[in-house]
Amino acid sequence: MGISGGIMGGSYKPLSQKQIEQIHEATLEILENVGVEISNQEAQDILATAGARIDRETNRVYLPRKLVEQSIESAPSEVLLAGRDEKNDLLLSGKRVYLGTGGTALNVLDLENEYRPATLRDCKDIARLVDALDNIHFFVLPVYPNELPKEEVDVNRFYAAIQNTTKHVMGGVYTIEGVRKVIRIAEIIAGGPSELRKRPFISMITSIMSPLKFDVAYTELMLEVARQGIPIATSTCPMAGATAPVTLAGTLVQQNAESLAGIVLVQQVNPGTPVLYSAVPTTVDIRTMDFLFGCVEMGLMNAAISQMAQYYNLPIYSTAGVSDSKLPDAQSGYEKATTALLCALAGSNYVHNCAGLIDKGMTVSYAQYVIDDDINGMVMRAVRGIEVNSDTLAVDVIKQVGPGGNYLAEKHTLKFMRSEFFFPNVTERRSYRQWKEDGAKDCWKRATERAKEILASHESVPIPEEIERRLAEEFPELRV
Amino acid sequence: MATLQELANSVIEGDVERVKELTQELLQAGVDPLEIIDKGLIAGMDVVGTRFKAGEMFVPEVLMCAKAMAEGTSLVKPHLAGKELKTHGTFVIGTVKNDLHDIGKNLVSMMVESAGFTVINLGVDVSPEAFVKAIQEHKPDILGMSALLTTTLPYMKETIEAIKEAGLRDSVKIIIGGAPVTQEYADQIGADGYAPDAGAAAELCKKLVGAA
Repeated sequence: MGISGGIMGGSYKPLSQKQIEQIHEATLEILENVGVEISNQEAQDILATAGARIDRETNRVYLPRKLVEQSIESAPSEVLLAGRDEKNDLLLSGKRVYLGTGGTALNVLDLENEYRPATLRDCKDIARLVDALDNIHFFVLPVYPNELPKEEVDVNRFYAAIQNTTKHVMGGVYTIEGVRKVIRIAEIIAGGPSELRKRPFISMITSIMSPLKFDVAYTELMLEVARQGIPIATSTCPMAGATAPVTLAGTLVQQNAESLAGIVLVQQVNPGTPVLYSAVPTTVDIRTMDFLFGCVEMGLMNAAISQMAQYYNLPIYSTAGVSDSKLPDAQSGYEKATTALLCALAGSNYVHNCAGLIDKGMTVSYAQYVIDDDINGMVMRAVRGIEVNSDTLAVDVIKQVGPGGNYLAEKHTLKFMRSEFFFPNVTERRSYRQWKEDGAKDCWKRATERAKEILASHESVPIPEEIERRLAEEFPELRV
Repeated sequence: MATLQELANSVIEGDVERVKELTQELLQAGVDPLEIIDKGLIAGMDVVGTRFKAGEMFVPEVLMCAKAMAEGTSLVKPHLAGKELKTHGTFVIGTVKNDLHDIGKNLVSMMVESAGFTVINLGVDVSPEAFVKAIQEHKPDILGMSALLTTTLPYMKETIEAIKEAGLRDSVKIIIGGAPVTQEYADQIGADGYAPDAGAAAELCKKLVGAA
């Protein structure tokens, strides 16, 4: 029994209204006076026409306040990320919360506890596993298939996921040809180009580099996705103390500048394109310069940046529920739960990386997906809050039971018992004795067993055979 | 006309009123009272037990079903007219001396009753002497004792001693349960069994009388 996504969050607000406005003003000052570096000529031309000041020698693009404001206005405040099955549709807006997977990891910790390079088979199996886990609401392509040549990665990664889950599939992309082919495949499955735009069950991630730099190759991909009108995240990952100021407020200013710059470019390429305000703010361990993905400051900043997106009325792609631990253990539990709770309670819309990822996002663990399904369920239950009305206040039943009685077999209990509580799957709640007699298994072991059960039995809704045949003919590189 | 299957389904749904209605209808239609119990009420409760074990049904639902079954049974009983109601045996249960905890013991009581035993519930704060008296009076196949407090746990041992002194130990199986109780403790004080929860207690009772 899962908790479906889309519940309103927003009870946690690390920033005051005044602080939000301070960050906003500081951001506009940076965009106008420092600007961003964009080497891609086409992007420079588009932005120049839109009113940006360009220094062609240094590739510096200065974004005036008016252009930024006009682009925020042009971006949709509600984005539908469809599922191949409607029941998995995500409607991103306001403070609705959805939690899902993230990528792209290079390694897997598999169900035999072997740590090895990820393969295409892992893309398929993880998609199928997540398809069966109700508290993971969407699927971001989790791993890189190390055995494939680069030009075959995009189509195969996407198709492996589309085939094995009816949840929304988002993924990073690597080549222009790949972007085009993936969109074409999705159009064929959707029943045509306009059908796909109406119910986009795929979306793409193209990155911006921190600080404030649009890399040549990624920008080309970003332009292509935007032109095609496919939903897009313009991910950027500033690290406080290394590629962003050491202060959290400073990192938020830079993050906000980068996120808005992505919105500006996409909207100027193709106004109205569904784009997510995209944020991956985190830190380094300042003692050693190790990249961090499970620190509490990351949870704080992702909550705060969600408030910024809400201030602009833009749907947000944020980051939480990851860990720096190397295995499913206590550390992965507390890092994931802490960051996911902070971010989700702030009403963040599309919280990615929120399942499976360990080892700073370099590795995914099959068992961890099952554990994170429980963590996410707990988080969503917290987001839902406490319902108070004349029925839930229970005055009548308290009167009826009276002092010294019990509520076990009251109708009121039966009425609410399935909706008031979240029921986890691999969380041990029995007595010490029962646990011991059942093999004294820790959470990792129980999750491993459940993952094996799911993979042995669960199948997603298949792609119709004729479509599969057509795809195989048109795309010989597809490893179906 | 109402069918036994409908009656079983109403037990599964925990619909007390519907169970009463259907039982009346079946009795009026002349259906064998024993069949109403076996193939209607108990058949429904068997499904409930299976679903509870699988985690599909929760304790409050099981209690509702057990209540429905008990109401149905009480309507049938006057119609048995000398026919023997087949049960697995008689089960006497109580919470030990100085311990006022009721819920777990009642849960066990209902589960054991639903498993096909006649249950005599002695309530809470039952002294060793009262347990002995109940054995003499009801001649149960099994005696159950419950304790929630570590401070009242020793009364389980005292009660068993009292039963031995009264010369009744061989006439009855004794099972114990409650939060501080363990299998080791059961072995140590010479009880015949221990169960960690109500469902397991019902299974244990069946096992002890050779019905499972």
